[in-house]
Amino acid sequence: MASTGKAVRPRVAVAKFASCDGCQLTLLDLEEQLLEIVTRFDIVEFPEATSRHSPGPYDVVFIEGSISAPEHLDQIKSLRKQARLLVTIGACATAGGIQALRNFADHDEYRAAIYAHPEWVESLAAATPVADHVKVDAELRGCPIDPGQLLELLTSVLVGRRPQIREEAVCRECKRKGLVCMVVASDEPCMGPLTAAGCGALCPSYSRGCFGCFGPRSNANAKSWSAGLLNSGRPPEEVWRLFAGFAGYAEPFRQVLTDLGKTKG
Amino acid sequence: MIAHPVPSPTAAARHWFLARSDLDSLIDALQATGRRVIGPTVRDGAIVYDEIQSAAELPAGLRDEQSAGIYRLVARTDGRVFGYTVGPTPWKRFTFPPELAITTAHRTGVVDFEQPPIEVPQLAFLGVRACEIAALGMQDRVFLGGQFTDEDFRARRKAALIVAVQCTTSSSTCFCSSMGTGPEVRAGFDVLMTEIDEGFVIEAGSPAGAAIVAQLPTRRPTHAETGAAADSVEAVRTEIGELLPIAGIDERLKHQLDNPRWGVVAERCVECGSCTMSCPTCFCTSVTEHSDMEGRVSTTERLWDSCFDVAFAKVAGGDFRARPRDRYRQWLTHKFSSWMDQFGTFGCVGCGRCITWCPVHIDVREELLAIAPVIKPVERPVAVEPVAASPGDYSIARLASVREETEDTTTLSLADLDPAFLMGRPGQFVMVALPAFPAVPISISRFRSNGIDLTIRAVGPTSIALVNLHPGAKVGIRGPLGTFWPIEDAYGRHAVVVAGGVGLSPLRGLVEALVANRDRFESVSLYYGARTPDDRLFRSDLAAWAASGLIDVAVTVDRAGPEWKGRVGVVTNLFDMLSCDCSKIAAFVVGPERMMQASVQSLISKGVTPDRICVSMERHMECGIGLCGHCQTGPFFVCKDGPVFHLSELGDMYVREGI
Repeated sequence: MASTGKAVRPRVAVAKFASCDGCQLTLLDLEEQLLEIVTRFDIVEFPEATSRHSPGPYDVVFIEGSISAPEHLDQIKSLRKQARLLVTIGACATAGGIQALRNFADHDEYRAAIYAHPEWVESLAAATPVADHVKVDAELRGCPIDPGQLLELLTSVLVGRRPQIREEAVCRECKRKGLVCMVVASDEPCMGPLTAAGCGALCPSYSRGCFGCFGPRSNANAKSWSAGLLNSGRPPEEVWRLFAGFAGYAEPFRQVLTDLGKTKG
Repeated sequence: MIAHPVPSPTAAARHWFLARSDLDSLIDALQATGRRVIGPTVRDGAIVYDEIQSAAELPAGLRDEQSAGIYRLVARTDGRVFGYTVGPTPWKRFTFPPELAITTAHRTGVVDFEQPPIEVPQLAFLGVRACEIAALGMQDRVFLGGQFTDEDFRARRKAALIVAVQCTTSSSTCFCSSMGTGPEVRAGFDVLMTEIDEGFVIEAGSPAGAAIVAQLPTRRPTHAETGAAADSVEAVRTEIGELLPIAGIDERLKHQLDNPRWGVVAERCVECGSCTMSCPTCFCTSVTEHSDMEGRVSTTERLWDSCFDVAFAKVAGGDFRARPRDRYRQWLTHKFSSWMDQFGTFGCVGCGRCITWCPVHIDVREELLAIAPVIKPVERPVAVEPVAASPGDYSIARLASVREETEDTTTLSLADLDPAFLMGRPGQFVMVALPAFPAVPISISRFRSNGIDLTIRAVGPTSIALVNLHPGAKVGIRGPLGTFWPIEDAYGRHAVVVAGGVGLSPLRGLVEALVANRDRFESVSLYYGARTPDDRLFRSDLAAWAASGLIDVAVTVDRAGPEWKGRVGVVTNLFDMLSCDCSKIAAFVVGPERMMQASVQSLISKGVTPDRICVSMERHMECGIGLCGHCQTGPFFVCKDGPVFHLSELGDMYVREGI
């Protein structure tokens, strides 16, 4: 990769599917580093920031949003072909996001309940993460993503190393920060033990249980955690809501929801 | 209470009394040495250690209630400021920071690595408990005790003044008394305080501490005050109560690496790492690099890590501890076993933080007791006093009848014998001798009203001579000898009898007793393996038991003939028929050594516990009474301590070759 300022700058594109644009905006929120970023990267495609368009191929493509509408299916394949590195950003792209909650319900019923003319709305029955359709080279989790992790990813592209993103539970960040565990001290529901770290224990820092927006970390023991919540007397509906957040469609959260659905039904 | 305190001439001159209302003078004196004071204070529903400016920030009138996975603050009925135990914060936070920059590297023309200068804050730790002092000492051994040292840690330890506090209360999670680290603070402090109703009995433990105490508005304590202080510490030891059987657990755990319980606890564990992060002695870290966008300047940061991390033991080619059970085992065996090998102490101080702060309520004490229990000697009913209990002495019996069981196995019925033989118990044996033939041990296969049966496989000179005797012949016998089947083990349980070959012989009396007392057991099963259908012993008994409906009988053979309609294969294959809760089984196993080992391992893997598995061991015996020494196995004389043993008594000796 470019190791001097004179070298060719990597061409970067930012694209979105079904999403709120918050993750893309994280790039613009890197205010202090923004000048350096545009010096070192050639951001050629970024609808939130510029009306300029430039065809591929691209060195890095950041994808926000889930695959949710029929036209997305071809678009994502086309972007994959043009991308050297394809990086999904945010809960929608990496786990399906909030919109994937419809995957647990009747799509037509939902559509009819919300839109005056449901027949005008073309959407797929399931909203799915990008990795269900094309190979993904790296993921940044969260709703929205963490600016520090985004900067680390950009840096790793330039330096030529793996991004230093730890695969640990949010609990580790809580403990390093010296936060008191709310599960133990105040019986707050919290998804921290199952959820990938990276946010810096943001919600627990404000005395709020983790709601799992970074999605399940590898080896998340969702079975034990959900069983514990149920055994402590929480109603299945509450446990369902806890798992059915931003990453409810990602395994093993999906399995918990499926099992709870069975229990309820 | 006492209007004019009487100075106590005998209360060790080192003690002073500080009124609770004068506590700020201590904080002022500590701050006057240029230190920030770190002490207990309430935050987010718990008592944490953080910087405090005055005594008003201490948790006055509060105590904690702790149990596995639960921590609650509740009001005290008094205004004590140290009336609780340990909260979530280990002091290592201040001596071994959770995040620390350890190197700055440059790649600008030249490559260099630079260690940041060691700059540590001057701190005073206020309210350090006995277990916590022990924990700091354990990290001293880890970081400073060997060839390679952590100088940042050394500087932080040196820069910290320790004001210890005696525990005057305990939590259900406390087990310092078991680990030998508390509850009394005995050393390792600069100042030591014991809180009593009116204030604190204090003493100095170092010149720095003495200098602090000298500045305080103290007076000499009264007898009553020093007495109250001593009593309240002593009361905590009583309150913590029963000791965990920790002694020797480091060795016991080494024999339990394959215990199925590791898998059971790993199913509950969510691997959040809260135990390791809350542990005051855990010291594992990882490093992470932060660099500028070009990688020209980078900082290496050291972070508290945990052996529960999925990447902790990974290399490019794979993961050395890939399963959750592997990681749980690493944590527990390090704390209670391999730490002893590495550093000469346990890696646990018994503070109980890993128990309280485990969000899935795992209690290490329960796991330790389940995984590496202390094997208590089994208490047995007393056996009848044997007849002719000396190596050269024999009682005479008459051979009443001879019955051929199989081609090579014969049952001799003895009569006209000493009544003591009739009072023997299933599982016991007799030594049988003929003039000119060496005595041999033979198990009793049946007790009759007027005699006993011996079932003998004719393989050696004495046994061949015995089976060739005719009714009316006389034989010499000693006994009944050895231990017998503890049938009461199976009361209220599923009794499972596993026999191989002639191993059914010492079990026949047991099966009869199980059938006779059938309503005492949940179920009774017999799994029997023989070489061929013709090698089955006691065929009429087998048929009668099966027909009774009182016992499930399953037979398998190694080699079947054309008429055999039953199972073929090893006896452990029959265990697929076990449909009950295997933790409620009591098993009795006899057969060839390898068959017994395979059976035992299979039963354990199904969840039968070693204290509910009995085996009968066959060893070379000449005297039968523990004098000749042939049958020794580990600490046991199999003839008199056995032949029936609980597997838990034998431990891994049972599956080890050459013992």
